[in-house]
Amino acid sequence: MDILSPTSLDEVRDIIRNCLSDETSLSLRGAGTKSSLGNPVVADAQMQLSGMSGIITYEPEELILVARAGTELTEIEALLEAHNQMLSFEPFHPEVLFGGTSSGTIGGMVGAGLSGPRRIASGGVRDYLLGFNAVSGRGDIFQSGSRVMKNVTGYDLSKLMAGSFGTLAIMDEITIKVLPAPETSVSLVVSCSDLASAQAACSQAFASAHEPTAACILPRDIAANVNLGGDAFAAVIRLEGVEVSVANRLTEMQNLLGPIGELHSLTQELSANLWRQVRDAAFFNETHEQIWKLSVAPTACVGIVNKIKTSIDASYFMDWAGGLIWLAGAGERLGADIRDVMASNGGGHATLMRASDDRRQNISVFQPQAPALMSLHTRIRRAFDPKQLLNPGRMGA
Amino acid sequence: MSVPAADQDILARRSEIAKGLKSIIPNHLVIDDDSSMRAFDADGLSAYRQMPLLVVLPETTEQVAAILKWCQSEQVKIVPRGAGTSLSGGATPLGDGILLGLGKFNKILEVDYDNRCVVAQPGVTNLGITHEVQDDGFYYAPDPSSQIACSIGGNVAENSGGVHCLKYGLTTNNLLGIEMVTMDGEILRIGGKHLDAGDLDVLGVMTGSEGLLGVVTEVTVRILRKPATQRAMLVGFDTVQEAGTAVSSVIAAGIIPAGMEMMDGPAINAAEDFAAAGYPRDADALLIIELDGPEVEVDALLERVEAIMKSEGATSIRVSTSEEERNQFWAGRKSAFPAVGRISPDYLCMDGTIPRKALPEMLTRMAGMSQKYGLRVANVFQAGDGNVHPLILFDANAPGEWERAEAFGADILRNCVALGGVLTGEHGVGIEKRDLMGEMFSEDDLKQQQRVKCAFDPDHLLNPGKVFPVLHRCAELGRLHVHKGQMPHPELPRF
Repeated sequence: MDILSPTSLDEVRDIIRNCLSDETSLSLRGAGTKSSLGNPVVADAQMQLSGMSGIITYEPEELILVARAGTELTEIEALLEAHNQMLSFEPFHPEVLFGGTSSGTIGGMVGAGLSGPRRIASGGVRDYLLGFNAVSGRGDIFQSGSRVMKNVTGYDLSKLMAGSFGTLAIMDEITIKVLPAPETSVSLVVSCSDLASAQAACSQAFASAHEPTAACILPRDIAANVNLGGDAFAAVIRLEGVEVSVANRLTEMQNLLGPIGELHSLTQELSANLWRQVRDAAFFNETHEQIWKLSVAPTACVGIVNKIKTSIDASYFMDWAGGLIWLAGAGERLGADIRDVMASNGGGHATLMRASDDRRQNISVFQPQAPALMSLHTRIRRAFDPKQLLNPGRMGA
Repeated sequence: MSVPAADQDILARRSEIAKGLKSIIPNHLVIDDDSSMRAFDADGLSAYRQMPLLVVLPETTEQVAAILKWCQSEQVKIVPRGAGTSLSGGATPLGDGILLGLGKFNKILEVDYDNRCVVAQPGVTNLGITHEVQDDGFYYAPDPSSQIACSIGGNVAENSGGVHCLKYGLTTNNLLGIEMVTMDGEILRIGGKHLDAGDLDVLGVMTGSEGLLGVVTEVTVRILRKPATQRAMLVGFDTVQEAGTAVSSVIAAGIIPAGMEMMDGPAINAAEDFAAAGYPRDADALLIIELDGPEVEVDALLERVEAIMKSEGATSIRVSTSEEERNQFWAGRKSAFPAVGRISPDYLCMDGTIPRKALPEMLTRMAGMSQKYGLRVANVFQAGDGNVHPLILFDANAPGEWERAEAFGADILRNCVALGGVLTGEHGVGIEKRDLMGEMFSEDDLKQQQRVKCAFDPDHLLNPGKVFPVLHRCAELGRLHVHKGQMPHPELPRF
């Protein structure tokens, strides 16, 4: 297969115009870390985007960073860390689930739109993408958004780009809002007798004025594996900020959640390590045939998981106070069963995060939408890429 | 600024259209007498008045769907309207279009504290959501200054902000789901109590689409626990430059206040005359910095912010010691518009955003423009996020002043873009800034946006004449220009 390696947006535009004339479809590749995520792509050629890399602007006082799409995520994270800032949405690092050594590119991060634990408290990738420029599947260079925080000029096309898996346009310059990193971070572990009380602990934490920034639920086996106490479900609540405030809120949170179960707190280092594992779904291993990610109403996770567990042997844990269920299992029926149970328990969407090509050929990796909405999605895709040249079939039709 | 010329065929069919609508929704929901329609002839941009063809006030989503479907098949235009508080003419009627009012969608459908969300109909006011949950200690964060009147559906259409955006985001960051109706009458549900909707983020592109893509008939929004403590600090500076640097230093120190407002000399004095908030009249710039959160945190951060202000040359610092005093600090800022209204017969409120570091340069340019146009200007800024609200003072009865004020406003927005900013931070494009879109976007940028419009509304029937300066037919926008055989970069590998 031909590999095209443009270094500028003008070159990308010329390639796309040529592709249009001979209807050559393209798979897009940054660092290739998430190439097995999404429906399998069959394309005539590949466009390699790592040649469009580098941080263009970083202005800590303005809270913005502009980088080219092929820039390595770890390069950006290291620069921010040196200035006590961060990508607030804690982007998923794909190497844990998919192997390899790279954490992927910023373009891939935006394209996949995968946010970590702080998503529930302060938003996801979509909320921090301020603007971009790109070449559409029509071979036109266009830009949307800006470098300022507050902007309602024209349609917010950034939202469409985040999580579109490269099916709309090929981005070059990506402008991201960054935030100060918290000075201190600790976690409170609540040992609970069952899933329902663990979820209740998370909901109570978020309904309090003590400003948690993350809450996860680990079932007995995973909690034991990561030494979070004995034979119990662990609800883990993270508190971050100014040291004196964190100490104060930890005490308040202990008073609030003490009645639910035994408590202990994790030091900064243990806490940081645990949240990285939660972010990257590091509790699963290569023996799991399929790994799914379900976005649901936080309280609905209890009914959904308990129902699934009655008929399926699955491992799981939750992030986002229960609103994100990571679930690992096997079998041809697994995806359909998950989606059925979810549909009868308040709805949401389920994405197949990891499985063989063969498995992904036979089930929709992304949640099927209602017919009218699906048809709208298709029309939106055609508005950017009328000939379906970009990552054909990877997401949607 | 002009609205597109009315379609004479549609005007001639007015009574037939009224009859058609009455055949699909109850008669009393179709308003066709001039005196009743008069209430809908303008929104918050009241310089533009236009009687709509007809007004419909549906009560159910199914009625909205039936109306849109009927209008699609009859090729009749629709202008959706929430509470009509838009400052950019987003809900300005069209003479040949039906005004679709959502005022009857005024119920809160569900409060869910465990999942921290409220499900509401779009006609509920922004503040109505907070009122519903405040006794239990919760609130809805985005707080546009029209929050007592503006509707949550209108907030979705405009992606409304407020003074606390820096920390809590705009509508788009606080919206979890919607039910909407497309122009072809399809009812779609997107998102809900879960995060992210899966597949393309249609929720995201609907937010701030100014009523051009669909009609929102239900919203699910995130509610937050009210912070334990809120305290504000009033800081005076001799120059706007020093105040601007002080704001950057706060952010650089890793502190994100709940709000950071700046006022210039004319705004300080107008507000002080009006509200007697205790502002330092001799200061050329005033910052109001609000911190919220747990009490110990607010105390600790106030101490740090105070130290920063002193080192940046503050001439006066006051910290609120009671809720009463905090409200008093804000009273001046919140009454800035009526206060300016007292020193001038009319004023025009602009709404651009610039990179924060460009603030001093912007003010220098503004002073020059004020001289050039012979009109006074008072400035209030959301300094934390660079959103500037210059108030241009003029007298509509003085010949030529309205035109000069409009030209001054347009010049300010051009300068915002030139300094790396944008035309509108929170008020929307509407008709007000429509003809300036070319300052910020290329022809190709605007065409790509309009292709998205075509995916939702291929006949341009929903709120046409807003946002885009030139309307291209969707068939024309869809055409591909393929130049076979051109190889502008021969060095690139080929297939």
